Amino acid sequence: MPAAALWELQEVTKRFGGVVANDRVSLKLYGGQIHGLLGENGSGKSTLIKTLSGAHQADGGRILRAGVQVSLPDPIAARRAGVATVFQEFSLVPTLSVAENVHLGRLPLHAGRQVDWKRMRLDARRVLSTMNVDLDPDAVVGSLSVANQQLVEIAKALAADATMIVLDEPTAALGIEEIARLHALLRRLRDQGRAILYISHRLDEVVDLVDVVTILKNGRVSSSADQSRVELPYIVQSMVGEVGEHYPKERNARDEVLFRAVNLATANRVRDVSFEVRRGEVFGLGGVLGSGRTEVARAIFGVDRLTAGSMTLGDRPYRPAGPPQAIRSGVALVPENRKADGLFFNFTGFPNITIARLAKLGRHGTIRLGAEREAGRRLVQELDITATAEQRLAGALSGGNQQKLVVGRWLFAEAELFVLDEPTQGIDIGAKIAVYRLINRLTAAGKGVILISADANELLAMSDRVGVMSHGRLVGVLRPQELDTTSLVRASAGDAGKEIVA
Amino acid sequence: MKRFLASPFAGPLIALVVVAAAVALTTERFLEGGNLSNLVLQVSIIAIVAIGSSFVIFTGGIDLSPGSIIALLTMVFAMAVKMGGLSLGSGVLVVLALGVALGLVNGVLTAYLRIPSFITTLAALSAFRGMAFMFNKGSPIFSVSPHLERIFYGKLLYVPLPLYYVVVLYAVAFWFLRNTAPGRAIYAVGGSPAAARLSGINVRRVQLLAFLVAGLSAAVGSVLMAARLNSGSPNYGVGMELSAIAAAVIGGASLAGGRGNIVNTVLGALTIVIVQNGLNLNAVPTSAQNVVVGAIIVLAVGIDMWRVEIGQALSFLSPTKGESPARSSP
Repeated sequence: MPAAALWELQEVTKRFGGVVANDRVSLKLYGGQIHGLLGENGSGKSTLIKTLSGAHQADGGRILRAGVQVSLPDPIAARRAGVATVFQEFSLVPTLSVAENVHLGRLPLHAGRQVDWKRMRLDARRVLSTMNVDLDPDAVVGSLSVANQQLVEIAKALAADATMIVLDEPTAALGIEEIARLHALLRRLRDQGRAILYISHRLDEVVDLVDVVTILKNGRVSSSADQSRVELPYIVQSMVGEVGEHYPKERNARDEVLFRAVNLATANRVRDVSFEVRRGEVFGLGGVLGSGRTEVARAIFGVDRLTAGSMTLGDRPYRPAGPPQAIRSGVALVPENRKADGLFFNFTGFPNITIARLAKLGRHGTIRLGAEREAGRRLVQELDITATAEQRLAGALSGGNQQKLVVGRWLFAEAELFVLDEPTQGIDIGAKIAVYRLINRLTAAGKGVILISADANELLAMSDRVGVMSHGRLVGVLRPQELDTTSLVRASAGDAGKEIVA
Repeated sequence: MKRFLASPFAGPLIALVVVAAAVALTTERFLEGGNLSNLVLQVSIIAIVAIGSSFVIFTGGIDLSPGSIIALLTMVFAMAVKMGGLSLGSGVLVVLALGVALGLVNGVLTAYLRIPSFITTLAALSAFRGMAFMFNKGSPIFSVSPHLERIFYGKLLYVPLPLYYVVVLYAVAFWFLRNTAPGRAIYAVGGSPAAARLSGINVRRVQLLAFLVAGLSAAVGSVLMAARLNSGSPNYGVGMELSAIAAAVIGGASLAGGRGNIVNTVLGALTIVIVQNGLNLNAVPTSAQNVVVGAIIVLAVGIDMWRVEIGQALSFLSPTKGESPARSSP
């Protein structure tokens, strides 16, 4: 370990009104080290990052760079001091080129005031090549994949000569291969002597990548880098206290088939997909990003039209012309992107629950608000959603509560088949366990569940059977006992698909 | 105090009271009975047109066309009644039906042909007024009917009729938005069209519905406008779209859609009209009035945006909770 810390937080405290978001948090970041920062939602991670990046001002404590106290009154000052933060929501201008984005805010100028385009391109190319990344500096950022946009964001940090790079949930939108590539890049940057602070909810990959971890709980350090063991059981326990089981799977599958898909195909690259879901069963759907998982979900929910094949629900043929018909037939979709496609941030909790089936609340299109309140309170209690959901707007609730609202919406709509697309993405471990318990409740009630997840462990642990997608096809359906993480990953990568089917 | 500030009516109500108090202080004539009932007449047309503008804004759109719809429909109305010999009642029904039809044009272009509402209704602002000039060689039509003015100036139990129209129409709009599924859908579409679609809402139909309401409320406004001056003119309603949008925005509606309360729209309309009234009573020229109205819009939206900060500032004054807001200044 290097002798002196490159960056150090000493007893940093941050209050919002009466709430203490960070309570005397200390942290040492060394060059040549990847430091994991973990904790549940609300544990103070985001506050700490914002303080580091100059967006918040600490109420107490000090920030040191190479042993000298610095002040970071705003994000520009932080950037100048060498802190580069890659937030979940990128700070890129989609209409500008890669080179322009890399130099945003500090464009190289000629002696006059004109932009030195040549130098800018050369600089961008140099930075990208130190990253071993093959991106065209003239490409328009908006046309790049999410993974490549993230690389541009990192290139931006490197071009500004950042000594510390903070990454907040960098893999939330990435596929397996892209994650591996990102991790390789971070390791290279580490070996160049930079300090990296890495925040993620995907604990497996954190354990894989980081050198040390600091774990926050309720705004305090619950396990410092010196004490923490970089292993899953220890981390989970430090984050939530006693949890019992990580994956509380119950087996409720019955014999009766609820849903059957035969040779489904859509214009969205789904080809020849056949499977069935029994009542009480969790049918897992795995595969890399872009393998067609989400597209199958869209077809079942009537968002994409079938170009071939057929479906049955219960004992009746099922051919939805759109989401309204799907909902009326008893199909629910919990979309992958909870924030954009799932929730109404202009609504409080209850209207978020009732919106898919307002007809239940009154006759002839009227809404009895008393009935809505009653139904809302009942579901809030049943699903263990915070009671403040009645008054607060959805955006003010935690990720776990938000996800429960969306699931509650479909319970209220009396759905039979639940398609859950990445239901635990971006929520903390405690909320994840709550979602798993919710899945158990659904299956215990005889509902069918299609679970789509990029988290191989979750998929294997929570499913009764797993279907593996690759290039729009279902390449195999297996019991989880017959699969382990490695073979699932290999199968979904496509090359081993045939072996599995055979 | 904090609870009041947190309620949805706080911002618009404060703006209204402050403005009314300021006007009352500068001129005694403001509170005279004659002036107050004049205010009611003045606010009625803007308030009714603003119902439609608010519906469109709640879905996340904008409607720039009601002023031109008013011009076109007063001309059609005057032609039909004076020259076509239509009865007043049938004339009103024709105008209301045409208003819905004009709303249908805006709505189909926006919702089904996916042209942004700012553009479709900007085009409509130009086209509908152009059409208004095609009637009667572009000249106003006066003295439409001896009974027409009663619609606007008539009284029931000493209260001007337009007050009844406003109260009834706002009550219906409030009930519709709060207690019906289509009303809820309007807010859902404004909040997140993607989530609304995945919740089984027909997003296009909801957007169309908002424009139909906008067309209808502009048509009601045009009947009142024609009755007020017993005439039709292609020059009526100029700037009405801005007053109506301002009423909604001063009432706290978010132009991003999904947020706003229709009751606040009428408060917003009152605020604008009281400001104009106060300036009139103080003999301020129209040009300066327009500048003041612009400033009021910015201020009213600002008060809404800074509500949290204002609440914090007020909590300094009354530290009853006992917690010192320990904030370091950078």
